[in-house]
Amino acid sequence: MTKIALAAAIGLATMLASGSALAGKDLDAIKARGAVICGVPTGIAGFAVADSQGKWVGLDVDVCRAVSAAIFGESDKVKYVPLTSQQRFTALQSGEVDLLSNNTTITLQRDTALGLDFTAITYYDGQGFMVNKKLGVKSAKELNGATVCVAPGTTTELNLADYFRANKMSFKPVVIEKVEEIRAAFFSGRCDVYTTDVSSLAATRAANVPPPATPEDFVVLPEIISKEPLGPMVRHGDNQFADIVRWAQYAMMEAEEYGITSKNVDEMLKSENPTIKRILGVTPGMGKALGVDEKWVYNIVKQVGNYGESYDKHVGPNSLLKIDRGVNKLWTQGGLQYAPPIR
Amino acid sequence: MAAATALAALTLAHGAAAGPVLDAVKARGALACGTGTGTAGYMLADSTGKWKGLSVDVCRAVAAAIFGDADKVKYQPLTSQQRFTALQSSEVDMLVGNATWTLTRDSALGLDFVGVYYYDGQSFLVPKKLGVKSAKELNGATICVAPGTTTELNLADYFRANKMTFKPVVIEKVDEIRAAFFAGRCDVYTTDASSLAATRAANVPPPRTFDDFLILPEIISKEPLGPVVRHGDNQFADIVRWSLYAMVEAEEYGITSANVDEMLKSENPTIKRILGVTPGMGKALGVDEKWVYNIVKQVGNYGESFERNVGLGSPLKIERGLNRLWTKGGLQYAPPIR
Repeated sequence: MTKIALAAAIGLATMLASGSALAGKDLDAIKARGAVICGVPTGIAGFAVADSQGKWVGLDVDVCRAVSAAIFGESDKVKYVPLTSQQRFTALQSGEVDLLSNNTTITLQRDTALGLDFTAITYYDGQGFMVNKKLGVKSAKELNGATVCVAPGTTTELNLADYFRANKMSFKPVVIEKVEEIRAAFFSGRCDVYTTDVSSLAATRAANVPPPATPEDFVVLPEIISKEPLGPMVRHGDNQFADIVRWAQYAMMEAEEYGITSKNVDEMLKSENPTIKRILGVTPGMGKALGVDEKWVYNIVKQVGNYGESYDKHVGPNSLLKIDRGVNKLWTQGGLQYAPPIR
Repeated sequence: MAAATALAALTLAHGAAAGPVLDAVKARGALACGTGTGTAGYMLADSTGKWKGLSVDVCRAVAAAIFGDADKVKYQPLTSQQRFTALQSSEVDMLVGNATWTLTRDSALGLDFVGVYYYDGQSFLVPKKLGVKSAKELNGATICVAPGTTTELNLADYFRANKMTFKPVVIEKVDEIRAAFFAGRCDVYTTDASSLAATRAANVPPPRTFDDFLILPEIISKEPLGPVVRHGDNQFADIVRWSLYAMVEAEEYGITSANVDEMLKSENPTIKRILGVTPGMGKALGVDEKWVYNIVKQVGNYGESFERNVGLGSPLKIERGLNRLWTKGGLQYAPPIR
């Protein structure tokens, strides 16, 4: 009964969304409620964590805030729902949340069989390498002959072997099953290198270094050797809302590319550059196409910052996590972050 | 009627039944693919009427995924002014007309871009005898451009930003623009660099040659070219999206049209999953488990398609550049097939 009612609602929304300018049911519900409901992780430093005042902060959280700024002109109209990886897809499918910004890897199965869509890639994660600084290594390409701590029977182990083979290097594996034992082995010097996903390496460095050593004694190398693209997801049935989520992210990247920051955005309103005028709504049109206020990008950048500002604040070299921009640099700087044009 | 749609939506969400576009494609026995009217290397009918090119290969990949046969495509050449209307009105199922993915097109038209098959950018083609080496020297030039395109807007933006003026010569049909340019009705022809390379490779009227023309070094815009579908059939959109990603993923894992049969014996769990030796991906997408095998066998991986159609071994002689795989310093990146 409930399923049929839900299905009817989805069906209707699909019909409305097809080729019409009407808002879909998700956007309608968000506006009526006065808040975006955003499914976030239960707590991952740098990505989504509630601070001592209960305020959610992080790279994933900034996606929710940007969507709120686009829809309401205020980035704080967000209700955060912490979800485990088991709960998250069901919560989105059932309408409990409007979107997920949940450190979720985009995969074929998740994009197809669940009735969900990813909108864009917020963070290119993947397997990387952490080393002790005294090893004097700046790149994974310099790891020939290294002793490497790795968990057994994982894709991580296969990727490791593939990468060394492809680069004509050898390594000596130290295979340990439990995460805390791998860390202990690495910090006690049983291996030169610890390999797993970069976000996890960064968290280990930030939280698990045994004194008197400090996080500064370790470095995560810039290479990413596998694909774990993280991005927000929405459910099928409201194309306009999906577009708002997608372009709110792209707006943060486009703002970085054009040098628009939270600090200079008011100055930028006076720019003569036609692209900047269009992005910031000085030349109207983009807001109308998306069905939001023409100042949507202004509001995002003013209140949340551009992508680079968000990255630096939450996970960048000056944050607790100290993750190199690496593949998350803009395409103009050698990275993969590329927004289609706002025009 | 609402009940029927509702049911369709529910089952669609579980990956079993098809949406309206996929149903129509299957009933017709062919994919209706909207292309441009003709751009060498990207979409061009050869002397036997067979369509070829990098953009065409996306349609072929989708047909291979749905039918197991890359030839089950009906091509519909469309001008840049016709293309979106043709897609909205269901005259075609998808577009590969070298349309740039922009906010306006992705939001206000009831359409979705599902990926980027070529990272392009707008540039300028001039005769060498004009003696110009940079777009910054084009003040006062007469410029041939197609109407109703982002190209026209970028052109105006660029000249305004550089405090220069120009005289537009606006012509709709590509072959007429080229004729006007080669006849000297304009000093400059502007469109995406890919298209300029194609024009220079295939359309210079004798006795002049390829070497009498120059593409200026400035790229004045981001022109990510991608396949477009209309709203309302998420499963079909997913098939188009992942058919393109499958070509990119195959290149990353070294699977080519020449070795794909050998690769079926690979012990690499990722390759087994991609090629359907370990089933699951086809089911999730609602196509045969051999969908990637069929794409790679019949169309090739992304790198093969690029080299054959537009790469250094082709008449266009375009460098991979931004279109290299992410592992080689480019932007082409497919989320994992798992």
